[in-house]
Amino acid sequence: MVVNSIRERTITENSMVILLQGLQGEVTTVDLRNESTARGRVVNVDAFMNVRLEDVLYRDRLGQLTQLQDLFITGRNIRYVHIPDHMDIMKTIESQLAKIHRVRNFGSEGGGRKEFAKKTK
Amino acid sequence: MKTGRFEQQPTTNTVEEPLDLIRLSLDERIYVKMRNDRELRGRLHAYDQHLNMILGDVEETVTTVEIDEETYEELYKSTKRNIPMLFVRGDGVVLVAPPLRVG
Repeated sequence: MVVNSIRERTITENSMVILLQGLQGEVTTVDLRNESTARGRVVNVDAFMNVRLEDVLYRDRLGQLTQLQDLFITGRNIRYVHIPDHMDIMKTIESQLAKIHRVRNFGSEGGGRKEFAKKTK
Repeated sequence: MKTGRFEQQPTTNTVEEPLDLIRLSLDERIYVKMRNDRELRGRLHAYDQHLNMILGDVEETVTTVEIDEETYEELYKSTKRNIPMLFVRGDGVVLVAPPLRVG
């Protein structure tokens, strides 16, 4: 559920991608740069806004519909992501941040390694 | 990353850099000019350093130019649509401003 790379965690924590990561499991519409749209369930969003969708209805710029089991969209190709009406944005961001902090502090109580622990004199 | 109503990071009240001007517009209605002749008008809920934004109650306007083949006149058409809550990727954003007031 949380990415395994420290770099990706830091990127995610410091940008709005964290909200998109909270959309996992929701059905949304993604508007692409090439004027096409993809509506499906969000499987995963990474720090670079690359999105994987499943059970997708893909509408190309001419309006032609295609059904796709699995669709991977490069972050650069995204123009908009429609946020479902029922979503509480603040709660979603807060819970995503909490997940990252839990992972980051994992094992610290048992004397384990802490990511970027402050150096104290 | 800055969000309205709940500050994730402590921020100063002074305007120090251009992004601070956008911070002043949090929870206000704004006008966003985007690439490919698009404009958005909506309420700014959150933004980050890439200008990724969350806009609420958005109206998107897409402007196209058609050229009449006989008279070579330019015909400007605009298409609007409304979206309740939209995440906008920052690399498409050209400028951010308070909504234009028609005097």
